[in-house]
Amino acid sequence: MTKSVLLDLTQCIGCGACTVACKLWNQLEFADGAPATGEKAVKDHSNWTTVTFRKVQKDGAPVWRFVKEQCLHCLEPACVSVCFAKALQISKEGAVVYRPDLCVGCRYCMLGCPFSVPKYEWQRSLPNVSKCQMCAGKIAQGEVPACVGACPTGAMTFGERDDNLALARQRIEQGNGRYINHIYGEKEAGGTRWLYLSDVDFSKLGMVTNVPEVPIASFTDDYLRWTVPLLAGGALLFTALRHYTKRRNDIESSQASQKESKKK
Amino acid sequence: MEDDPKKKTDVPVSRRGFLKLAAGAGIAGGASSLSGCLVNEQKVGDSGWLPQQYRVPGNWPVQVRGRIPIDPANPAITRDDAKCVLCGQCQEVCEKIQTVHGHYELPVKDDFICIHCGQCSLWCPTAAITETFSIAKVDAALADPGKIVIVQTAPATRVALGEEFGMPVGSWVQGQQISALRKLGFARVFDTNFSADLTIVEEATELVARITGKGGKHPLPQLTSCCPGWVKFVEYFYPDLIPNLSTAKSPQQMMGALIKTYYAKTGNIDPEKIFSVSVMPCTGKKFEIDRPEYHAAARYWNRPHLRDMDAVLTTRELASMIKRANLNFPELPEGSYDPLLGASSGAGLIFGNSGGVMEAAVRSAYFYLTGNKAPPEAFEFKKVRGLEGVKEASLSIPGVGPLHVAVIHGLKNARVVMDKVRAGNSRYHFIEVMSCPGGCVSGGGQPRSSTPPGDEMRRMRTAAIYQRDAGQNLRESYKNPEIKQLYANFLGEPCGELAHKLLHTDYVSRADRLQPKKPQKT
Repeated sequence: MTKSVLLDLTQCIGCGACTVACKLWNQLEFADGAPATGEKAVKDHSNWTTVTFRKVQKDGAPVWRFVKEQCLHCLEPACVSVCFAKALQISKEGAVVYRPDLCVGCRYCMLGCPFSVPKYEWQRSLPNVSKCQMCAGKIAQGEVPACVGACPTGAMTFGERDDNLALARQRIEQGNGRYINHIYGEKEAGGTRWLYLSDVDFSKLGMVTNVPEVPIASFTDDYLRWTVPLLAGGALLFTALRHYTKRRNDIESSQASQKESKKK
Repeated sequence: MEDDPKKKTDVPVSRRGFLKLAAGAGIAGGASSLSGCLVNEQKVGDSGWLPQQYRVPGNWPVQVRGRIPIDPANPAITRDDAKCVLCGQCQEVCEKIQTVHGHYELPVKDDFICIHCGQCSLWCPTAAITETFSIAKVDAALADPGKIVIVQTAPATRVALGEEFGMPVGSWVQGQQISALRKLGFARVFDTNFSADLTIVEEATELVARITGKGGKHPLPQLTSCCPGWVKFVEYFYPDLIPNLSTAKSPQQMMGALIKTYYAKTGNIDPEKIFSVSVMPCTGKKFEIDRPEYHAAARYWNRPHLRDMDAVLTTRELASMIKRANLNFPELPEGSYDPLLGASSGAGLIFGNSGGVMEAAVRSAYFYLTGNKAPPEAFEFKKVRGLEGVKEASLSIPGVGPLHVAVIHGLKNARVVMDKVRAGNSRYHFIEVMSCPGGCVSGGGQPRSSTPPGDEMRRMRTAAIYQRDAGQNLRESYKNPEIKQLYANFLGEPCGELAHKLLHTDYVSRADRLQPKKPQKT
């Protein structure tokens, strides 16, 4: 079971209800100078989701688009793979969630994430990493994430990832060119649980498009997977060698002492 | 007991034993916390609340969800996200009453579709949505010794402002309002009722021209144009009916144009020094003053930066200025308006009510068409009064025939009639439309009432206005002596050349900013 959200950007009117729902439900601060919506929306520890207002061109005419962004909840998240403290985990429903009690504050996750999603609570003396939890507690109760439920135009569909992918393909096929032929998140970074449809190229909307189609962790997986066998094997080998040389030395010295005693 | 030999009263703890115990406990604790055994599982998020309507399992439909989009640069309304609780009330009024939100196709083009009526600011339970405040701008002008700050007050503010100070709904506070404005430092206080009379003279003259076949490109039915929300609604959704809109400006803009031309000239004042403020029951007026079509004084003086109006205060904003100045509003003496642009008839006053513009216009149009005073029914035009969404009436005019009129408030109601007009199925000559339910008395800039918001409050404010009109001797706009003086000394004749330059306007189609939703079969 992997829950997912399909976000149809053509349906977003930029009202920002999703950002308010997120803050109400997760008790995040409304900070002055860090708006969650608008042309200068700020992605930070208290804005788990933002709606950025972008003025772009489409077919030679100016159009306004509103780009809701949050953690994409990768299928194979780089943040989870780099976290040696297991502070980032994948919940039963498929949300990539954070455990502040396990976090040591190394911020590898912030470096590892290809979408620069995790943020740090720099202003606190004992800071945590901060990012969208896909309302893990709410979806565990069978509800939809707060942002999805608050959307007045129904731009977001919550459901199984396979169903959402099928729905996205169906919309592209039946849209008569309404959408570009790209489901963002289908392949990005090996696939994400948030999927996007748009009528404008995603790179024009400021979304990260230069990510590989394989999970980030797969780059180092080929050799890092040998770390434990290598260490354990080395330890075994050297222990065996130590035993071997010790026994050899013991035998040698005992034989030498026997010869000495025979001479006498 | 004390002598029990088995009881050890003095347990010997050696230093070595104690250190071993402490070190052992430390090692055990460290080991178990490193292995995760002592860690208290914590999580982030899921700690707040959401309104009950959002707490449903699965994808059950949520009837009222989300909110309306508001342009950060909206000149009329503003929202503070920190106060929004996602109750959905703004959306209810915008979509169901005004039929703006949700009545255009997605994706959006390049506009936040808004007619600035401000009803959302009245419906918002937490005051997250408010007017875009202009108090600071007005304060700065009042503090500037180089500025002459002139203010005008709309018809509907004088029956609502008192409620902010504990007075009963519908209290008549015209005089106190004038005194308060003078105490706040405004140099002149003029009456928008005067320019409402002027609007009637121009608009009725225009109607007569259309009825007698001299309307040129402007067909019947003539649509009123004093409500900025309604005008923008036509520009968005009924651009083909723009020629039907009266070219007469709204009373606020007529007054604005006259203050910086006629009044400046008469009083020999440099128009640059005038800072012109209005007190309005409306948030849309804040949008109206920035419309480039309305910069008449700039064209008249050939000084492009001049604005006819410099700032708009809502009734609520004025109330907060009065409270801040600690004026005992109900006890203030009753002041009177300054001359030249201050006299008005009952016809100008009833602009504040739904049906008022129609009744006022009929009183004058009858006179223009027949040369006689309108019949008594035009002085208590019951069919166009009241709170029914669409009101119809006919008045027979000798030598012309029946005059068919309609009065509409609330834009959902307007759609019904405009679709008929568009299809050519309407028999009306003249249609009054006000965006806000009840007209300006319950406009988007009016105070929250002490009675439950709704028709009860609207009826009480409306009744106060009609009562004053009935008690007045001067009840026709064309009889207003200062209007006569204005035409004789400055404008020439109604709808004449200078009148056209200062008091009339044109409109822009905004059809390319949206794709209207096709009416759904129900």
